[in-house]
Amino acid sequence: MRYLPSSPAEDRALLDTIGVTRAEDLLTGIPESLRLKRGLDLPEQGSEQEVTWQMLDLANKNTRFCAQFLGAGAYDHFVPSAIDAMVSRQEWFTAYTPYQPEISQGTLQHIFEYQTLICDLTGLDVTNASLYDGGTACVETALMAVRVQKKRHTVLVSRGLHPLYREVLKTNFAPHDGLNLVEVDLKDGVTDLADLQAKLNGDVAAVMVGYPNFLGAVEDLTALAGPVHAAGALLVSVTQEALAFGWLEAPGKAGADMACGEAMSFGNKPTFGGPFLGFLAVKDAHKREIPGRVVGQTKDLDGKTGYVLTLTAREQHIRRDKATSNICSNQGLVALRANIYLQLAGPEGLKGLAEQNVAKAQYLRQRLLELPDMEPVFDPPFFNEFVLRYKGDMAALQEACLAESLLPGLDLGRFYPEYQGCLLWCATELHTRRMIESLVEILARVPATV
Amino acid sequence: MFLRQRESLAFDRSVPGKRGMDLPKLDVPAARDTRPAHLKRTGFEALPELSEVEVIRHFTRLSKWNYGVDDGIYPLGSCTMKHNPRLNEKVAGLPGFTDSHPMAPDALVQGNLELLYTLQAWLKEITGLPGVTLQPSAGAAGELTGVMLIRAYHVAQGAKRRVILIPDSGHGTNPATAAMAGYEVVELPSRPDGTISFDDVTDPVNGKVRKGLKTLVSELGTEIAGAMITNPNTVGVFEYRFKEISDLLHSVGALVYMDGANMNALVGVARPGDFGVDVMHLNLHKTFSTPHGGGGPGAGPVCCVEKLLPFLPVPVVVRDTVKVGEGEVPRHTYRMEWNRPQSIGKVHTFYGNFGILVRALTYCLSHGSDGLREATLRAIVNANYVRARLKGAYALHIDSPSLHEVVFSDTLQAKHDVHTLDIAKRLIDHGYHPPTIYFPLIVPGALMIEPTESEDKGELDAFCDTMLAIAKEVETDPEALHQAPTLAPLRRMDETTAARKPVLRWTKA
Repeated sequence: MRYLPSSPAEDRALLDTIGVTRAEDLLTGIPESLRLKRGLDLPEQGSEQEVTWQMLDLANKNTRFCAQFLGAGAYDHFVPSAIDAMVSRQEWFTAYTPYQPEISQGTLQHIFEYQTLICDLTGLDVTNASLYDGGTACVETALMAVRVQKKRHTVLVSRGLHPLYREVLKTNFAPHDGLNLVEVDLKDGVTDLADLQAKLNGDVAAVMVGYPNFLGAVEDLTALAGPVHAAGALLVSVTQEALAFGWLEAPGKAGADMACGEAMSFGNKPTFGGPFLGFLAVKDAHKREIPGRVVGQTKDLDGKTGYVLTLTAREQHIRRDKATSNICSNQGLVALRANIYLQLAGPEGLKGLAEQNVAKAQYLRQRLLELPDMEPVFDPPFFNEFVLRYKGDMAALQEACLAESLLPGLDLGRFYPEYQGCLLWCATELHTRRMIESLVEILARVPATV
Repeated sequence: MFLRQRESLAFDRSVPGKRGMDLPKLDVPAARDTRPAHLKRTGFEALPELSEVEVIRHFTRLSKWNYGVDDGIYPLGSCTMKHNPRLNEKVAGLPGFTDSHPMAPDALVQGNLELLYTLQAWLKEITGLPGVTLQPSAGAAGELTGVMLIRAYHVAQGAKRRVILIPDSGHGTNPATAAMAGYEVVELPSRPDGTISFDDVTDPVNGKVRKGLKTLVSELGTEIAGAMITNPNTVGVFEYRFKEISDLLHSVGALVYMDGANMNALVGVARPGDFGVDVMHLNLHKTFSTPHGGGGPGAGPVCCVEKLLPFLPVPVVVRDTVKVGEGEVPRHTYRMEWNRPQSIGKVHTFYGNFGILVRALTYCLSHGSDGLREATLRAIVNANYVRARLKGAYALHIDSPSLHEVVFSDTLQAKHDVHTLDIAKRLIDHGYHPPTIYFPLIVPGALMIEPTESEDKGELDAFCDTMLAIAKEVETDPEALHQAPTLAPLRRMDETTAARKPVLRWTKA
């Protein structure tokens, strides 16, 4: 076995020093009756070459596309070469959680920089070292909102939030008998203000809205903040496409009290949905209630600036069942990818990329609308995703696209009965004019409505 | 090798006009500005302007202040810092995997689904448990999923019950998880050997009596939803009465959760499904060699018994066999099953940290049934070798047989006013990452050493020699230990001020 370094002679010497004849003699702590009396019923070990072929075979069984017009929470953006090169340094990817700050300053300073960038993008004061993904970030944020809003037990969730984020929220609220999760309807692709106002009351701790929402639409946070704050609730913006922060005002400056969501767009590929990058940012007043790891700046004995894990009194290894969360890892390496990506992009790169996404999506929408079977559903401002109704045969559309190695937008009927027959389209900087034109040409040839 | 003692923050080096990323030419009409005026991005306060050269140098220099598994032994007990094979990294980066979209129809991601199904099959055989979900992103997420399964099971039986029992030696995540799942935590005391006490335990210092397992089960009975037990426990000792513990809990209808953080001591040797475990999690970033990434991403799959299957998170990956003609090899197709009415729901937006699952399956295929067992035995041999060499110089607070890790105490050194923290920091001066310190809480001044199977005799000897030299130095020059580290980029950090006056981000001066 190539990963087990001791030679037979060394192994012998180890056993001699311990004073046993065989490794099995060290299993005396496990009662004989509880041990496995046979070998595991699994294949034998594979050489590096054999395993490579097996895994290549699996990778090749996935259908490849010339272009994917599908976003819906997992966005395909260009990844600069510097990111993979940096992240494959063993000092980054093999290191453990930075519990020993003197030999973990690399990871700690990186997280401090990452925290700074998330605060900058969201316009809020405090964030943590990252969370698992967008859906679980929503859970941590909602539970935190209920904690800081004492004696309030309801969280209102706009139906514009990613439907799978809402599923994760439901799962995690189920065990809390005293807490309620209530959905707010959509109108014209954005949160219905009348329905929101009808549901706001003294028990509402927070209101969560997409920014942009799942349908790609830009919610007017500032307009929502008025009634939400008047009811004493917190406004939480949930962003599943963090590149939009290059185009849209920081949620903290537009009226949100907390911002959370998914930042996989910064330097990651869709990778079948993970590992992704959950984030959560809050105002300074709430910093001691934030879940997860937080890095702070301090000095060493000689007065040199350095970084440590801090505010640990909130965490599970100290507070146990009174902790702010059970979370004790983060998505460190994914956060590193985001940090490098953002430093490469800088303010101009980020704004430019965001503008390109808007331009491509606007162009895609305009061209799709030239097709007789496509029609608009609503028309709020959108970032890089939008919804169109397709009057033709959805199955024929799917088939025609796949035959030409194009992955079309998401069929919304699965998640929104009212948008049966509608598709959620996405375009990013990766979509060239030529790709968009091919899509339109292919769709034009789909047999007309029967 | 670090040659520079300082690397300023990226923000302090920002120079207007620098760019590290260029964009493709825009080949469509420029964007029309459709934003309401008040939602236009006003600007950034921190986002730096740097060239690619500077960004690469920045992250290269920062990396040199980290200690990684390739630098040498990383003996963090309970964390299982084993070798991270490069093959796993290469495979996880295959475009067939990285380009695949989580919302694509099942027919287009058959490779991914087969991969998930195959990994599930390996984990089922390894744990002896018939149900698996790969969705949880980390150990703690796995714990939460597991306890939610327990809760859903009891709710289906009529009542969710009130209490989860957790030994005082357990990871802090266990009680935090139980609380997040809506349960009250009742602590189980440990015996002097580190295992769960069936009988009541009287505290030798304050005379307080702590109720043991038998008393708690008879008093709380059907109020107990389950127990969360780490096995081998955090002292590296197998709960040798595990079967009796699970029988006792099952007698009142409670379920047994096993924290599988230390499963690397059992793979191929014993299976939790064979000794009464109902549900457990595995840490793929420990037992299955996926990298720790400086804190993540990990993966915490959950395995469970038959009666918990209906409650598993959605979707579940299912295999269908396609009918073929006589004499032909049957073909399989894979799909995601979403319609499971009793499911607890989703615990991750998509299907978990897929890239990590790719690495874990690669590890499994590389080791095979024989290699997995051999890795377990080597890890146990290595821990016992360290134990044999350091015994005497460091106190063994608990003398039960060690499996994959050994826990020492600083009681011998404390006489010279040298403590675990000092020993840990002195190891840094010698070029080693320290062991896990002050955990588990039941061992005073704990130094928990887990060498893993990845170290050969030479590396183990060098580490043990250093530990022995430090033990000598404690007697001759304790001050050197109090001052340590002196050779790292920084000396000891002021953590008190960091927490009292937190500075959690850079701000413009």
